[in-house]
Amino acid sequence: MAVIAVVAVTQALVAAVPDADAILKQAFDNYRAGSSSTSVAMTVHRTDWERHLDLRAWTRGQDDALVRFVAPAKDAGNATLKLGRDTWVFNPKLNAVIKLPASMMSQSWMGSDFSYNDLAKSDDIITEYTHRLLATDQAGGHTVWTIEAIPKPGAPVVWGKVALTIRDDYVVTEETFFDQDLKPARRMQTDRIATLDGRPYPVTMTMHPLDAPDQWTRIDTSDGRFNVSVPEYFFTLSNLQNPRQ
Amino acid sequence: MLLALAWRNLWRRPQRTLLSLLSMAIAAALLVFMLSFQLGVYATMKESTLRIVDGYAQFQPDGYAADPGLDRTIAHPEVLLADAISIQGVTTAAPRLNGFAILANGERSFGASVVGVDPAPERKASSIASMIRNGRYLDATDGDAAVLGASLARNLQLAVGGKVTLLGAARDGSVAADVLRVVGIYHSGIPELDRSILEMPLSRAQDTFAMTGRVSTIALVGASLGAVNRALPALGSLARRNGVSLLDWGALEPALRDALTLKYATTALLYLTLVAVVAFIILNTLLMSVLERTREFGMLLAVGMQPRLIGGMVWLELLALALAGCAIGLAIGAAITAWFEYRGILFPGMGDLLAQFGLPPQLYPTLTPLSAFIGPGAILLSVVIGGVVPYLRVMHLTAASAMRSP
Repeated sequence: MAVIAVVAVTQALVAAVPDADAILKQAFDNYRAGSSSTSVAMTVHRTDWERHLDLRAWTRGQDDALVRFVAPAKDAGNATLKLGRDTWVFNPKLNAVIKLPASMMSQSWMGSDFSYNDLAKSDDIITEYTHRLLATDQAGGHTVWTIEAIPKPGAPVVWGKVALTIRDDYVVTEETFFDQDLKPARRMQTDRIATLDGRPYPVTMTMHPLDAPDQWTRIDTSDGRFNVSVPEYFFTLSNLQNPRQ
Repeated sequence: MLLALAWRNLWRRPQRTLLSLLSMAIAAALLVFMLSFQLGVYATMKESTLRIVDGYAQFQPDGYAADPGLDRTIAHPEVLLADAISIQGVTTAAPRLNGFAILANGERSFGASVVGVDPAPERKASSIASMIRNGRYLDATDGDAAVLGASLARNLQLAVGGKVTLLGAARDGSVAADVLRVVGIYHSGIPELDRSILEMPLSRAQDTFAMTGRVSTIALVGASLGAVNRALPALGSLARRNGVSLLDWGALEPALRDALTLKYATTALLYLTLVAVVAFIILNTLLMSVLERTREFGMLLAVGMQPRLIGGMVWLELLALALAGCAIGLAIGAAITAWFEYRGILFPGMGDLLAQFGLPPQLYPTLTPLSAFIGPGAILLSVVIGGVVPYLRVMHLTAASAMRSP
């Protein structure tokens, strides 16, 4: 009886004064779930051109991901597989799988404003940073938390600081990346939140590199299923090169 | 009259005069040789460094140097290329496409610069063609050919005849992918270069990187760096007409320019010290001879010679001494320099070190009017200016007191 009471009190306290680590973890779980399967339209905007790409993405746990481009024809078939810390790319024209050297991980991914690092180290924000709740505000009928993430000493990350705002339904609404001099370098904004497979989800997000005002990459997630069983063979090199339908 | 007197005075003490002459001659000869050597080596250093890839000057799209990328290009460069080589002093204009890609061979992959080059002008613009260790350089008929640095080839475990896979981002954001055949492997001795650059034919690179009709930069080369530097004004107005930027050698290799400037500054200090020491030795000697002759000058004053004329005579003695010393030094220095300019100076065992700076194992001084005259000129000038001291001393003499001095 006493134990139950203590647990209840503790839970109440946790709910009242949320912990930055827990918020972030929850937001990440909401975004990625145990596994996920999504359809994404990506728009890469540049001063003199704009490209639209369609892709399918599958994730498993926190570490594994497979992304396959399906349109336009010029890019269809290109695929990226991430297993743990390793990343491979498949190019249909070459019909070859290439393992990305570590030195290339900061390069642009498919000409977008995302780097391979964004793909590969997506849960770094949880594991490699310490988190602090900076502010709790009310906006649009929601509680919005502002969390500051500072890399742990010696963490293998490129940013000096990351600032996030997260809504009380655990959707990240804004994420700003600061360089080592703590100057803001790029900002990911959530433009639209909708219900996807029963959960609130940032269906439209835009990445803005802050040194190039007329340049951005937008991703629209149109179809998503979470905690579905993705077959084991999905996350293999042979499936990367020869996809089974 | 005064000059004849001065000249005769000098030879009243032949030993002292000869020693003074010798010290000045040695200093002047040293300066001539050291300056010629320094200027010669620096010129070689600049030219050989620039000849590896940069060229003596470059046309680049505006803003390219600060933020290079495939989105900054020179479109349809044919007319610009033709106009550039029609300018006096420019012999070659080599268009290039500078891309970046992952190079892979089986399990192995590395990031590297991929440079699309036009083989014919590139052979003349860059010394990479002459650094081919295995195989051959690119030629005009090549399609899927590539040459790459020795370290890069070793890292990728590639030999001549092997295939290298290239994967990068094209100008339009699509995937740039290609498979090339290795036809040659170059070894420059510069580690950074040998592990980071692959060259392929320009037209193929333009297809691969969605850069049809476009290039990233144009390297300009002439008979010498000086010739291209003299052509800079004409090149600059050509660049403005075509809406591109012109970068001179210092802008292409700012680190080299700064290193040379620093080197000039530190060696200038050394040369100044040498000039000052020699000037003081000579002045000291002459001041001694003036003091020794105080009685004699008193006598001259007593018989009515003006102090101004006596001072002038002493000053002329100094001038004659300095002129003779510097002339002898100049002749000796020029002769030594000319000999080494013909023979070259070999630094045994330093070949690898020199190669890192893009230098040949044999170094040559270059005798130029500047390097020949600046050292002796500085000695002459400082001695002539320093001559004011004995002149003033003589001007202050009075007949009575001077004649009473011991």
